[in-house]
Amino acid sequence: MNLKYIYQLSGFLLLLIFAVACGDDKYEVPTAKREFQDDCIKRSLGPNLVNYRLEFAYAMALPQDMGKIVSAQVEASIPGVVDPVIATNGTFLEHRAYSTDGGGNDKPVQVADPSSTDGSLTKVSFTRDTFAVTLRYYYKIPPEAKGQSVNFTFSATDSNGKTVSMKMGPYTVSSMDMVLDSIVTDNTDMYISISDMAIYTAAQAATIPDKIDLVYLYRALVQPPAPAPALTFKHALVSPAVDPTYLPGVTLPAGVNKNTKIIKVLSLRDQQLARLQYGIFIDDLDFKNLDTSTASNFAINLKNEAGGWIETADGQYRAYIYINAVNDASKNMKISMKRLKMF
Amino acid sequence: MFKNSSMKKYSNTKIVAALLLVLVSVRCSHDYPIDEDGLLITARTSCYVSNFDLLGTDFISVITSTTVIPATPTTPAVPSTRNVVIDTTAQTISVQVALGTDLKNLYPQFTLVTDAKLNPKITGKTDFSDLAPRKWTVISGNRKVRKEYTVTVTVQQ
Repeated sequence: MNLKYIYQLSGFLLLLIFAVACGDDKYEVPTAKREFQDDCIKRSLGPNLVNYRLEFAYAMALPQDMGKIVSAQVEASIPGVVDPVIATNGTFLEHRAYSTDGGGNDKPVQVADPSSTDGSLTKVSFTRDTFAVTLRYYYKIPPEAKGQSVNFTFSATDSNGKTVSMKMGPYTVSSMDMVLDSIVTDNTDMYISISDMAIYTAAQAATIPDKIDLVYLYRALVQPPAPAPALTFKHALVSPAVDPTYLPGVTLPAGVNKNTKIIKVLSLRDQQLARLQYGIFIDDLDFKNLDTSTASNFAINLKNEAGGWIETADGQYRAYIYINAVNDASKNMKISMKRLKMF
Repeated sequence: MFKNSSMKKYSNTKIVAALLLVLVSVRCSHDYPIDEDGLLITARTSCYVSNFDLLGTDFISVITSTTVIPATPTTPAVPSTRNVVIDTTAQTISVQVALGTDLKNLYPQFTLVTDAKLNPKITGKTDFSDLAPRKWTVISGNRKVRKEYTVTVTVQQ
């Protein structure tokens, strides 16, 4: 090709690039659709645990001159738990719209009567002329939904009789169980049952020795035979079948002898257990993928925000125990637990 | 006109070819040899472990420390030191781990002299539960000096 043509071509290309790059489309405010519309987001994060709530925000609007919103409703594929005493603790659809003030606080404006839930249907009827609003919906997961998927259909009706609707989900409900803020205390409430997710005293443990999976104890120091120096022990979670070195001064109730596996971890601050700022969630899959083949059966010198992966001796349960707080003076620990039944 | 243009074209081709040749020769130059792991082989002959640590399943060091000895009118204070003894002459590393260490699940951590590498590589946990010595070989930067280190773990009693 002639060199002249190459120059011409490249010059033309440059011109073209300039022309395209300099194009400045004038901004126009988008025109709102002249119709009744809706939108929805899920606000809650993390695994969907039974007895805990899913939270949604459902927005609906129509042009002001076209009418007003008459009602809004949500239908869940599995009816949610309704709290008979304090409705706002169970499944409900907000009858108030919220705005945020300068201090970051939610300021409610009532737009409807409190919602009524009939089976799987939760409904509000507007009492104030409203053409645009966002309502929150809380769904308390019932025990029968465990391990299943749940769907939601949000819908709203305007004064012209037009209905808009939106499907959300499916959301898988976790098979995990969770217990928060149990206190284990050295010498008294020191026997932990993973199958019951409960803490027992020695007398109680003696009646259900098969259910005791872990022993909590606190020793500031342990003293091996002299002249060896005293060694740090502190807060410990050990399995009843552990080497007696790790149960100094403890006499187990008869029959308490399970060999529970435990893997000590630090800084695994699950959001639902720790309720701290960390966005970490332990899910069913974490328990399923856990490798306990080389796990030990004790964890001593446990600190605040530490924890342990647990597997019961028969392998039926896997759990994660998070340590919310330790108290050396009163020899106790506040623990929260997530558990998955493996079979 | 025709002649002139063809000459231009010819010289152009020559320049391009020359540039290509330069590029190829630069690309293929082997001034910096690399080993089978893709690591640079250098001229360094130093071959030793400068620091060693053992981490538990919680990724916290399990190695114990000596207690601080306060100063007396005649002797200065002795600060706390970690119970890691690295003997680069005898090629041994002795460490003491705390009571309650899960010996089956320990992560060894070596700090080596510049450019050196370790064999076998540490890819995960090491089981020290039999308390038997474990061996790792340090290979120098020039990959010609190899020193086998023996790691011995004892539990605080």
